Amino acid sequence: MTSQSPPNPSTRFSQASIRRRRATFFTAVLITLIAGLWLMGHSLGRHGLNGLEIAMLVVFTPLFYQLSTGFWTAIIGLAVSRKSDPLNLLNTLSDDDRRADLSASTAIIMPVYNEDVSRIFEGLRVIYQSLQQEGQLAHFDFFVLSDSDNPNKWVEEELAWLELCRQLDGFGRIFYRKRRKPINRKSGNVSDFCRRWGKRYRYMVVLDADSIMSGSLLANMVRIMEKHPAAGIIQTAPRVFGAETLFGRVMQFAHAAYGEPFMAGLNYLSMGNATFWGHNAIIRLKPFIEDCALPELPGREPFGGHILSHDFVESALMQKAGHQVWLLPVDEGSYEEGPPTLLDTLKRDRRWCQGNMQHFWLLFARGWNSLARLNFFHGILSYVASPLWFTFLVLATILAAMPGQSSLAIGQGFSPGLVLLFLTIGLLFVPKLLLLFRQLTRKDVARHFHSRRALLSSVLLDTIFFSILAPILMVFHSKFVIFTLLGKGVRWAEQRRKADGAVDWQESIVTFTGITIMAALWGLIAFWCSPTFAAWISPVLIGIALAIPFSIFTAGLPSGRRRGWFSTLEELHPPPVIGELQHHLSKAHQRSDPSPALARNYGLMQAILDPFVNALHVSLLRQRQRLTPESRDYLDRLRKRLIREGPQSLNKRELSALMYDPDVMIRLHYDLWSAPTGDLAPWWDSAIRQYNILTREPVTALYR
Amino acid sequence: MDSIRIDFAPQTGTADEWNEAYARLSDYFRAHRLHSRVHRTYLILETLKRASETHARHPNVSPTEVAIHEARRMQRAWLRNIIGDLNIPEGRLDASGRMAFLLSGGPSTYPEYFLAADSPPQEMVDAMRQPIIQSGPDLAFSSMVPRPIDLGPISDIAEDAGGFFDRHPWLRYALLASLSALVLWGVYSVTR
Repeated sequence: MTSQSPPNPSTRFSQASIRRRRATFFTAVLITLIAGLWLMGHSLGRHGLNGLEIAMLVVFTPLFYQLSTGFWTAIIGLAVSRKSDPLNLLNTLSDDDRRADLSASTAIIMPVYNEDVSRIFEGLRVIYQSLQQEGQLAHFDFFVLSDSDNPNKWVEEELAWLELCRQLDGFGRIFYRKRRKPINRKSGNVSDFCRRWGKRYRYMVVLDADSIMSGSLLANMVRIMEKHPAAGIIQTAPRVFGAETLFGRVMQFAHAAYGEPFMAGLNYLSMGNATFWGHNAIIRLKPFIEDCALPELPGREPFGGHILSHDFVESALMQKAGHQVWLLPVDEGSYEEGPPTLLDTLKRDRRWCQGNMQHFWLLFARGWNSLARLNFFHGILSYVASPLWFTFLVLATILAAMPGQSSLAIGQGFSPGLVLLFLTIGLLFVPKLLLLFRQLTRKDVARHFHSRRALLSSVLLDTIFFSILAPILMVFHSKFVIFTLLGKGVRWAEQRRKADGAVDWQESIVTFTGITIMAALWGLIAFWCSPTFAAWISPVLIGIALAIPFSIFTAGLPSGRRRGWFSTLEELHPPPVIGELQHHLSKAHQRSDPSPALARNYGLMQAILDPFVNALHVSLLRQRQRLTPESRDYLDRLRKRLIREGPQSLNKRELSALMYDPDVMIRLHYDLWSAPTGDLAPWWDSAIRQYNILTREPVTALYR
Repeated sequence: MDSIRIDFAPQTGTADEWNEAYARLSDYFRAHRLHSRVHRTYLILETLKRASETHARHPNVSPTEVAIHEARRMQRAWLRNIIGDLNIPEGRLDASGRMAFLLSGGPSTYPEYFLAADSPPQEMVDAMRQPIIQSGPDLAFSSMVPRPIDLGPISDIAEDAGGFFDRHPWLRYALLASLSALVLWGVYSVTR
């Protein structure tokens, strides 16, 4: 460890108060767990446990632990979030602190990979302008760090960057970097930034392509870092906004209605040992550069190799180096978007699952503090819980099928099974009811949730929604865990963050048919075993059986918006940054699109055809080393083929090879314009004729 | 009625070929955001005139190619007057010049000076001679070297096992099948 130990934290964060909080939390969790296990043990085997029942008890233990952890996080969070928490870092800033001018330089970085370009740069625009209004812009620089391998996105990003710089006079403050090789994906992209420019800045704010942060919060985060030199990372709890589909709006509503106390509870537990979620966070760069570079894990993917979920590990490394990692529960200023559909959620979870499973090896590594280890454990458990739940249900079915057995039987008189059932329901629903009560009794309920009636309806409907969703996620997460164990890695898929309005019926049917059949067969077996048992397990099986209609229905745009269902503060009264973003994006989407035939290779077309885009693209390329004659011949062949046969005749790798060579791109520009029509692919002929109609106004990729 | 004199009579190439060259030049200049039709027409005719002379010397090349070549030559000469002394590599003169014209606001503010023989206004020249674009600040390199994490003894065993399974991937499935069989046997033993 090279970093010196940071100065002692303020007495406000004394170790005693931190220990007291953790002891309270874990005592409560442990008592609940013991009660649950005792009840489970008694309900299973009043006359001793057989092997199957022991297996059920073993599987039940982590599941009940997870349940009670969630319960107590919410309950404690509810208790502490009612008053101003003295251990919330934001509350440590005095009025004078908040007015003070900043003295530290901060880089706001946004690593992107084939994302919606308008959304990236319009997001940056509102953050930039918000900082400008705050009067603190001079202390921030912006970096878009692109790993996009889609040639269209690449060119679109270059253009949008130029246009944004021109519109905001942001040259020298907004920067664009495209990596030639996306080594180590997002974490490699961030490390690349740190190696090149990290020394210039004291702090770095990491954003995702769908993140938005207000200038006021950004400035305050820098002030907190300045005031607490022991803090290495401060992670905000972003609020979700911008959902359009039913699925997205329910998730967004749930986050708004129930999220805040969970965050407060997490902060209560973790204090300076919180975890980092990879975005909407500020990082002290010096220790990050010195101590948080990620090594490769031994072995190959999926368990070894490059660390996928890098943020948890970076947080643990920062703590290992003696710095603190804090969660900052905030109710405004930090925002992100969520996946629009169930299918998109599953695709994201597939990636996250493998990342979390990789952390298994880190559980046993030396040097972590206990909370960092616990964070790894909770991350793993969040996915492993699914196959455990699945196994528990299978074992329960087998138990029900055994002659003379009735799983979790509810008998006469005192019935541990019944008490356990009520306890479980209590753990699941009491926090929700308390939260609902709290939201209903707030004076500004209409401002936050449209009306009391809409809030009640939304909570009722989201209970049905999550009752169906949970078993579907259980099956898929189980599948993901098994795939990971079998060594099936994941590829780095681009994320879809907005619905395009079209519901993909075919993909839903193909994805969920298997589990629908499984649920039907399981239901028949359960009924054959015992109708009582079938009734007990039916909520789970019905949820799985409804996966296809659920996926299709929730991917649609109708979501009860007119009735006020699932409304949130950000929807009803968008804060300035979100309002501005939505305004700019609505303008962006009014512009005419190229024809579908051209749209597929529009970026490439612009980079070759348009004199200015060609010049921009070439200006941003590094001068190549002298090419070998073989490479030159290869590029010449590709160049001629591109002109004669059109872009569809080349694959992505070949197009990239051409686009990375500045000399070839200049040559292509003149080759194309000077080629007689007969020598051009029909695609280019059409492109030349249509292009000038599309660029009637000075080109603004931001508005395409 | 007054007669007019059309000062464009190429000795080589067909009318269709020159019409195609005209259309291509029109598209090309329009792609430079030159929205004034009058100005564009002047540029096209001037370029075509020069191209027809060149084509007479190279009749095997298509008029379209010659016309665009001529337009490029005119553009390079014009740019050399404005930014020729800025140590821009010869191969990048066109691209850098086009970029400079765009960033100076040329297409919207000074379109009539594009390729014009008249001296462009000083503000335009100054704007074009600004540093072209800066996509990143000056580099300030840091060394960010990963430190090995001591994963403990379990990871050593896992690494060995992982290597073994990597060499024999079918064993992964065999192990899964064996575990499944063991579970089934356990279930059978308990329930029989």
